Amino acid sequence: MGFRVYKDNREFIKALEAYDDLVIIQQEVDWDLEMGAIVRRVCEKKSAAPYFKKIQDYPGFEALGAPLATYKRLAIAMGMNPEATVLEISDEYVRRTTGETVKPVIVEKKKAPCKENIWMGKEADLFKLPGPMVHDGDGGRYLATWHFVVSKDPDTGAVNWGMYRQMVFDEKTMVGPVLPFSDMGKMFYGKYVPKNQPMPFATVIGCDPLSGVAACAPSPIPEDEFTGMLMGSPVELVKCETNDLYVPAQAEIIIEGEVIPGIQIEEAPFGEYTGYRTSPREPRTVYRVSAITFRNNPIITVSNMGVPTDEGQLLRSFSLGLEMRKLLESQGIPITGVFMWPESTHHLVVVGVRPAYSGIASQIANLVFGSKLSPWFTMVVVVDHETDIYNKDEVIHALCTKCHPIRGIRKYEQAPGTPLYPFADPEDRKWSRGSQVLFDCLFPLDWPKALVPIKVSFNNVYPKEIQDKVLKNWKSYGFKD
Amino acid sequence: MAKKEYDTFILTELEEFPEDQEMEIIVRDLTPEDRRYKYRSAYVLAKISKSESKYPDRLWVRLGRGQLQEKPWSIQIIKEVNKFA
Ligand SMILES: Cc1cc2nc3c(=O)[nH]c(=O)nc-3n(C[C@H](O)[C@H](O)[C@H](O)COP(=O)(O)O)c2cc1C
Ligand SMILES: [Mn+2]
Repeated sequence: MGFRVYKDNREFIKALEAYDDLVIIQQEVDWDLEMGAIVRRVCEKKSAAPYFKKIQDYPGFEALGAPLATYKRLAIAMGMNPEATVLEISDEYVRRTTGETVKPVIVEKKKAPCKENIWMGKEADLFKLPGPMVHDGDGGRYLATWHFVVSKDPDTGAVNWGMYRQMVFDEKTMVGPVLPFSDMGKMFYGKYVPKNQPMPFATVIGCDPLSGVAACAPSPIPEDEFTGMLMGSPVELVKCETNDLYVPAQAEIIIEGEVIPGIQIEEAPFGEYTGYRTSPREPRTVYRVSAITFRNNPIITVSNMGVPTDEGQLLRSFSLGLEMRKLLESQGIPITGVFMWPESTHHLVVVGVRPAYSGIASQIANLVFGSKLSPWFTMVVVVDHETDIYNKDEVIHALCTKCHPIRGIRKYEQAPGTPLYPFADPEDRKWSRGSQVLFDCLFPLDWPKALVPIKVSFNNVYPKEIQDKVLKNWKSYGFKD
Repeated sequence: MAKKEYDTFILTELEEFPEDQEMEIIVRDLTPEDRRYKYRSAYVLAKISKSESKYPDRLWVRLGRGQLQEKPWSIQIIKEVNKFA
């Protein structure tokens, strides 16, 4: 296999410690804002992940904050060298997730740590879990911020794992937004609601790191099999207590129950992936709890969405960008790469391409904005194959010098959007209406050759022998870099 | 006994908010006996006044995106309404 695999949250925590990317906080912290504030500052400073050993009012419970908020932690989760570049992580991710899927295996309940404690009936009370008040002004305590929700298609039996946030309403009730174009949204609103049937669900909190990566990735492959591909071995699942869904045996906490049709209750506001509280408090999807099972001394995971960089921004930029890379390559477009900066909150797609024919930038934008993932993207920047798409300075330079302020920009109106766009007018947000834009940073092919500006860079305007000489003598000239 | 405190999110214009009539509203309990239950939400039947002193309990007001208003209102909770019976 050749890479390390962390079967659970605990092995991952040990790995973070070994790579000096963990701060173990022995001091008691308050679940009411203090823990959230620490995680927020960690995200903004790109600090090591905080591991909270003592949570006020909740002896026996622990928490891991910002589990995957940096590329270093993503590289560790992938079992790679922590210093791996984004390109190296991307190539490895694409390699592992192409080809045969890896089906999960079922383990017996007595071998499943997540069954070490089982609360049923009245005992299954959400306030007995240390759901944090993540930001001041949030609509409630969010128990599920880095987690996934398991559900099953009633017709095909297809399983879905998706990361959809959940706020604690009362002892037995959680509520959260399930966007209509998400897999679970299509399942619940398209299949269960018309028949007025409740939909069984299981929320998995404190999973192994790659299951979390898979659950927020936009891949068409069922996420349990996708996780197996990322791990290079099957995920181990165990049956729930009160429904026939299966959950990772090694997860820290499982919340079982039903998503209820015919009623919605108010949820939000909450910090969102854009770095704002944008979408309003409004009636959203209701989860009723039937059982809670958990490991001894369970460790919840806490993501804090806000200004960059949190795991949503980092991982969704990563996996959405790679889906676009797969899409463009599958169409035979001569791209050199696709990258989305986490700081763009996955709104900006940078594509490098050989300008092989006229209109290629529009073709790329049409594909990106025409894909099923289009509501997550608002801007496409197309640069040539010589621009390093991972280098912000180079991309900004290309954008500001090669994109014609009128001709180079193409607007896409009447596009699908989300209620989360901070820039959208309130009415557009209400109807999830979006708009998108292409910045074409390629010089037109029909310009006479002699009139095409020449880039003045070390690599471009010196003969090879001068470049070699300067590089060879760099240190002896006295430079230290 | 110290006053109980709640908060609520008001999504309509504050000026238009109807006072002194029985209405259904979601409140969050900010002062539960067991601190683990802080922020528990409930639909309640209640009467509300913008005056801080009119009803027995304090009601803090937040706008749709969480903005806390400086002055609290007051509330009399008549009963909790169970939406899931
Ligand atoms: C931390 C985090 C929170 C998210 N919350 C939601 C949410 O509340 N509702 C939603 O529809 N999508 C949410 N998303 C996006 C989904 O996880 C993402 O679209 C994922 O691909 C959904 O899985 P699906 O493709 O199986 O629908 C969130 C993503 C992250 C990283
Ligand atoms: Mn899915």
